[in-house]
Amino acid sequence: MIIEQAPALIVVIALMSAVATPLVGWLRKDLCYFWVILALLASTLCSVIVLNTVMHEGVIHYRMGGWLPPWGIEYVIDHLNAMMLVLITGTSLLVAIYSKKSVETELPDRTVYFYTLFLLQVTGFLGIVITGDLFNLFVFLEIASLSGYALIATGEEGAPFAAFRYLILGTVGACFYLLGVGYLYMVTGSLNMADLAEILPGLYGSKVVLVAFAFFMVGIALKMALFPLHMWLPDAYTKAPSAASALIAPLMTKVAVYIMLRIMFTVFRPYFSIDLLPVTKILLYAGIIAIFAGAVMALAQRDFKRMLCYVVIAEVGYMVGGVGVANAVAIKGAILHIMNDVVMTLGLFAVAGILNYKMKNHEIGAFDNIFKKMPYTMAAFLVVALSVIGVPPTCGFFSKWYLIQGSVMAGNWTFVVALLFSSLVNIILFFRIIETGYYDFGASGSGHAHEEGTAVSEAPLSMLIPTFFVAAAIILIGLYNQFIIINIINFAVPKL
Amino acid sequence: MKTLGLIVSIIAGAFLMYGTIDMPDWGDPNSPASIHVSPRYITNAATETATPNIVTAVLADYRGYDTLGETVVIFTAGMACILLLRRRKDVRKARR
Amino acid sequence: MDFIIAKYNYWIYIILMMIGFYAMISKSNLIKKIIGMNIFQTAIILFFVSIAYKKGGATLPILTHADAHGEHAIQVAGYLNPLPHVLMLTAIVVSIATLGVALAIAIMMYRKYHTLEEDEILKAIK
Repeated sequence: MIIEQAPALIVVIALMSAVATPLVGWLRKDLCYFWVILALLASTLCSVIVLNTVMHEGVIHYRMGGWLPPWGIEYVIDHLNAMMLVLITGTSLLVAIYSKKSVETELPDRTVYFYTLFLLQVTGFLGIVITGDLFNLFVFLEIASLSGYALIATGEEGAPFAAFRYLILGTVGACFYLLGVGYLYMVTGSLNMADLAEILPGLYGSKVVLVAFAFFMVGIALKMALFPLHMWLPDAYTKAPSAASALIAPLMTKVAVYIMLRIMFTVFRPYFSIDLLPVTKILLYAGIIAIFAGAVMALAQRDFKRMLCYVVIAEVGYMVGGVGVANAVAIKGAILHIMNDVVMTLGLFAVAGILNYKMKNHEIGAFDNIFKKMPYTMAAFLVVALSVIGVPPTCGFFSKWYLIQGSVMAGNWTFVVALLFSSLVNIILFFRIIETGYYDFGASGSGHAHEEGTAVSEAPLSMLIPTFFVAAAIILIGLYNQFIIINIINFAVPKL
Repeated sequence: MKTLGLIVSIIAGAFLMYGTIDMPDWGDPNSPASIHVSPRYITNAATETATPNIVTAVLADYRGYDTLGETVVIFTAGMACILLLRRRKDVRKARR
Repeated sequence: MDFIIAKYNYWIYIILMMIGFYAMISKSNLIKKIIGMNIFQTAIILFFVSIAYKKGGATLPILTHADAHGEHAIQVAGYLNPLPHVLMLTAIVVSIATLGVALAIAIMMYRKYHTLEEDEILKAIK
């Protein structure tokens, strides 16, 4: 019975436990942490069951309430969905385990409500990737966004303003998405993705459909932080609390890339997105500009977390550019990069959170001699940094390889140059941190660094173990990438 | 900044109006939205859901999952307000 | 000219949307931005609801006593389209929730900086 109902259970467990968290917190505050871990463990188990079922039996259709689509709401789970579900639940479980010490330090009296919004955020993401209905996606997009705004606003100095700007731009994005749904509904009468895929090909010449598609793309680009609509991202992710940025940063932009893939290839057939309109050309240029802009702006940062935010913006450029190249190999690379980027960004922000917890500061200048003080954390950081640069056998190398291969096959040399330029810039960025961290610049920073030097020790175990897990996952995904591609990603690539 | 905002709004508005050229007329009973999915709601609501109010029938039965999502949205907003606005105990005591 | 008269409702709603959108992105007072957001979302809601209208004497989507008891076949053209109304009930709730969170963040900022102007807050943060 669990296997049949597993698709619904994934979202329902996260949702019901989110609603029950204030009750648990009222009983005893310390129980919230364990309650969150229990709920996410159950959701992760269900999502692994769903992935297993999809790999063996094909696409799952789960009807809510038993009503047939398009009159009722339907869950459609294919390989792309199932992969995203496992990624989201796995990431949130790791961040939940990681979050104990950092939440207790940064938000000492508000842990109960923080964990409630944490679970609601995860519910929102899960609801977005699992559904097959456009309006249902909007509702869950708003759940995820609202909890994101609130989580970010509880951060350090200047966080409420960053959250407010994110709120305004995020609401513009969601409203544009809703306008797109409205325009499509007006000429088709349906909200179900599979039903629209059958009705729309007769309407591709209609101006309403064109405007709807354009508004979808702009709304999703705002949520995805595609350059130049990225203004909200650096402030919001830098000033958020460490556990919140470790949860939101890996997931929000990648879920938006997933929505874009769904709209471009499931609702509108590939023929529309690639041949009829020059959408993929626009996406290719947008991706190239995003990679260059993100890389250049990351070089100019003095703050570690802010630098990571610009690395995230560049990574979004990889995925969007990969879709823009529009052949099967490059889209395979883009989907593999979604998986890799979730893991890499989680690792980067987890290390940033540990450093913030220990040093109360996330500027690069404060990282003197951390390699000696925190060897294990910085070992994990090295693995993640190698993956972002793209060194085999870490996973980052393989997704870059597919993207480069795809763009060479399509003759897009600009994209290849952008990818290589980004790798070079990443080498400079991370080596700067390694250099600051390895050598003791105590001579110039003198007494301050030496007094702190004896006090700072290794990170607490609850924060260290998830980081190690992420580093191990990066290497394992890299080693097993052929297995993942053959069994999951090959089926997720749309037939062009 | 203000002129940039004005230009963006005018372009977006013009683009939306360009889309209205192919739209079905206002109030057309044969528009796609009135023909495709909703007739079944109107004709079968009484028999399948025993509710004369069709909007309630759709909201609570056919698309009840959206209503659950909407309830969770309100809950999220409530929790967000508590998280953001509740004054801490020492500040509350100091104000008294 | 004909298509303007046949679709003037959509044009009005689009103009309303753009007024709200302009306020959201160009004004520098936080409360004016929030009001613009509300205008934008309300205009989208009105736009959707106007899709549901059927000319020719259609009434609200609530079955009359005779139709509810299955005495004769139900005329689909006699009742408005219920689906946009349903979607917009949810959208209204979502818009209020977003308004609530936006105002909560604005109150947080007011408590700290005692001003609601964007430029002054940016100066105070730096």
